[in-house]
Amino acid sequence: MKAARETGLDLVLDPQRAEASLWRRALYEDDVNSRETLFNRYLLLARSVAARQFSRRRRAVDRGDLEHLAYEGLLQAIDRYDPLKGVPFGAYARPRIAGSVADGMRQMTEVDAQITQRRRIQRERLRTLSDPRAAAADPLNALADLVVDLALGLMLEGTGMIEPDGGADRRPSAYEGLAWRQTQAALAAALEKLPPGEQTVIRQHYQTGLSFAHIADLLRLSRGRVSQLHKSAVERLRRWLRHY
Amino acid sequence: MRLCSDTELQELMSAISADDGTEIALVDRSLALFPDDARLHFLRGSLLAGIGRPIEALASLKSAVELAPDFSIARFQLGFFQLTSGEAADALSTWGPLALLPEGHYLRTFVGGLTYLIRDEFPQAIEQLRIGIAANAENLPLNRDMQLIIDRVGDIADQPGPGDETASATSFLLGQFGNGRPN
Repeated sequence: MKAARETGLDLVLDPQRAEASLWRRALYEDDVNSRETLFNRYLLLARSVAARQFSRRRRAVDRGDLEHLAYEGLLQAIDRYDPLKGVPFGAYARPRIAGSVADGMRQMTEVDAQITQRRRIQRERLRTLSDPRAAAADPLNALADLVVDLALGLMLEGTGMIEPDGGADRRPSAYEGLAWRQTQAALAAALEKLPPGEQTVIRQHYQTGLSFAHIADLLRLSRGRVSQLHKSAVERLRRWLRHY
Repeated sequence: MRLCSDTELQELMSAISADDGTEIALVDRSLALFPDDARLHFLRGSLLAGIGRPIEALASLKSAVELAPDFSIARFQLGFFQLTSGEAADALSTWGPLALLPEGHYLRTFVGGLTYLIRDEFPQAIEQLRIGIAANAENLPLNRDMQLIIDRVGDIADQPGPGDETASATSFLLGQFGNGRPN
């Protein structure tokens, strides 16, 4: 009688009303969860706009950089959208996201284009994870922790929760050892157990590839608080996965 | 509190049924004269729901229930609107006072059936909705809608994705409005 994936609520859900409910809660009731749900819902739109601009590029530019500009445009569009005007969000947001990407590309210097957003994010991550006080007290241990944390980051990017570009094959390659894959699986399970705030930061940072600044904007938190949540999540994961 | 007279309400309903795109303006004009009339807010909410303006529809339906907490059909419809918006917890909270209706009252039974539906307890949901339909002789469009849900539960395997019953739920709001006086 009942398909496995469909619930009783699904049966009576009206998509237009459900979307309106998200906008109402996000914009008029300051509900951050609804804001994040909307962002995730339109992420593919932002990526498709970035991909289109990438295909029309006239000089060397990193596709990841364009995606970041698109995310920025999406966040701005979410803030400025007025659902009472009756225009569907997709139609409203698409030209704004495209504008954000085009403006960003124009302002990008040659140096910017060489230091990709991905590299900037990796540096930012490193800064967050390294602890100068711990390093001064016990440099070797601090280094070991940092290496483990960075390895966790690499694994998080490969847990399968990340949507690959162009539907890339997610199956483990011949180079991936059994131990690595087992740890990855354990990590994916551990992610589910993280406190909600930490889980969101980890997912948005590693899954979507958002910078801490964008996550801060999305969740209405300070950038410092996002760094803090990231650090404590990685430390928690490290503790949980110690025996791997 | 000054309420719109039955004659004025009938005139308004006739004007609205002309369906020339001015219905919201007509209701707003009446609301300017009778801002505390829950029936007008309910009517406005129903119209807005019907033309795809859910955020404003919800606000109007809420106003109707706030002004007349015993306006049972408005309370039921507000809860149903919240349910179809994916806000099941809000729906249950809105419907709470309907448990005080006499046992066997069709609205109370429908709420029971929809509560089972929210919990994915489909056989009990169908049973309660059927009992409610049998007990309801005053709001026939509502029966049609509940029957659509029963059918939907029945052929869910053949028809994936959200169904048409919610659109119909919107359309029947107006049809039953005449029976929906605050009690």
